[in-house]
Amino acid sequence: MDVKAIVLAGGSNATEHIAAVPIALLDVLGEPVVQRVLTRVEKLGVTSTAVVAEHGCPLPGIRTSLRPNVKFVEAVNGDFWRCAEQQFNDFAQQGAELILLIRIGPYTELDYEDFVQFHLDRGARVSVAVNAEGESLDRFIISASRRNDAAFLLRNELKRPRTPCESYLYKGYINPLRNAADLRHLALDGFARLNTIAPAGTEIKPGVWVADGARIHPGARVLAPAFIGARAKIRASAVITRGSVIEHHAVVDCGTVVENSTVLPFTYIGAGLDVSISVVGFRQISNLRRNATVEVGDARLISMTTTSAPLRTIGTAMDLVTFVPRSLAAGFRRSRTVPQSIPEAVAKPSAALASVPEDSSGQSTVASFQTNLMSARRYGNE
Amino acid sequence: METSRPVIVKRIPERLDKKHARKFLSEVRPFLAADRPQVVFDLSQVKHLDAAGVDMLLDCMSEAMRRDGDLKLAALSAHAAVVLELTRTDRLFEIYENSTDAVRSFSSFLPNMLRQFYPGARGLHHAPAHFPAHPAVVHHEPAAKGDDERAA
Repeated sequence: MDVKAIVLAGGSNATEHIAAVPIALLDVLGEPVVQRVLTRVEKLGVTSTAVVAEHGCPLPGIRTSLRPNVKFVEAVNGDFWRCAEQQFNDFAQQGAELILLIRIGPYTELDYEDFVQFHLDRGARVSVAVNAEGESLDRFIISASRRNDAAFLLRNELKRPRTPCESYLYKGYINPLRNAADLRHLALDGFARLNTIAPAGTEIKPGVWVADGARIHPGARVLAPAFIGARAKIRASAVITRGSVIEHHAVVDCGTVVENSTVLPFTYIGAGLDVSISVVGFRQISNLRRNATVEVGDARLISMTTTSAPLRTIGTAMDLVTFVPRSLAAGFRRSRTVPQSIPEAVAKPSAALASVPEDSSGQSTVASFQTNLMSARRYGNE
Repeated sequence: METSRPVIVKRIPERLDKKHARKFLSEVRPFLAADRPQVVFDLSQVKHLDAAGVDMLLDCMSEAMRRDGDLKLAALSAHAAVVLELTRTDRLFEIYENSTDAVRSFSSFLPNMLRQFYPGARGLHHAPAHFPAHPAVVHHEPAAKGDDERAA
């Protein structure tokens, strides 16, 4: 049987985005959500797959992270649903018998083979997967000959079918993926093995996965569970802890603590910061504890690294070449007060004291401190 | 117990980047130069705060503390709260939910940490009668209203 699949990434106007990027296209533990869904679909033996994404989503490298046999269609002029309908018609013309329509949207771990079998057993035109409450999970199987049904469904943004369709009850893992908190939960559930999302890297020590090309400074600490994505950089004295996820090409600068957070691809986090219970990326930080998302315009705090590999290489080379001149210039600019005489500087009263207490004869009382006046700190019973 | 010294409440402008921080610092410097200054910064309007702004807050605090005074923050906007937490500076300031609480804190010892044990104690409204009266409060509004500073 010829089964083809269309995966819709986005389609919701208000939610399911982080910085205008559909969550479906973002990485979770080293692989985009959409790719993880495609992997499940491919087990079914689909002959062709297409991903329809919203136009203008600025996520770089998404095409390269998808497998070559997947057709990536970017909806132009914001006509997302029309583009999906066009893709359905193309697949129907190419001889598909069944077309699987998946919107992400919610993340589920549906058994698509069972779903297709259900559709065939019922002899249905359109079947929909629903949760225990009977709500649609935005997973449909449509007989390819039912173009009108598909067109009606897509024009109504998958909210209303043309005719009543068969409901396939799904009771497994569901993550609504509506916001940054859901994305974070998806990664944590992956660490906890509550879903089948496995970190796409090598487990270098129990609970710490590192993907290819990641560079972790020997002075940095990575505490389990944690994931460091491909070509990510963790610089000296940084701490990655409590289920944090650093996605590919992200940079965590010196001394920064990333705790229970997700750092999205191509994100630079400045030195000496404290990122806690947040999702950081695309020059913004979503603090999950405060339920607040703020844009950070200061490149010293949070910024994006360039997405072009040659430019990244040139940038690194430039940094290396200009390091010595910059250090020299900074040294000249910095005004340091170095005491000429160390013993004299030590004997000098603390700058915190505005004036040295003096006795009636004008002598400093600091030197005449009575040694019989002593203070002792008590330790336990001593 | 000092009760007569005024507490200056100053509203921080919407943007606190390098340019605006410098301007704001020049405005508040006279207050900080007073003897034992007691200053509260209201950050409810802040929509953009960067590293230069955080630097400015730290400068103000060190300036106040050098003169035996204190600087407290109040009514943090979401943006300000997130940036202060990100830069680890939130733990350096006493932070209050609103300016009134911050002002009262200069005359009464009620650290934020104790609030969880005394959930009803918010400022002096529910505090015991023997708590001292709050000091004189001077709300300072900017002299010239610009885009960046909108006084309520």
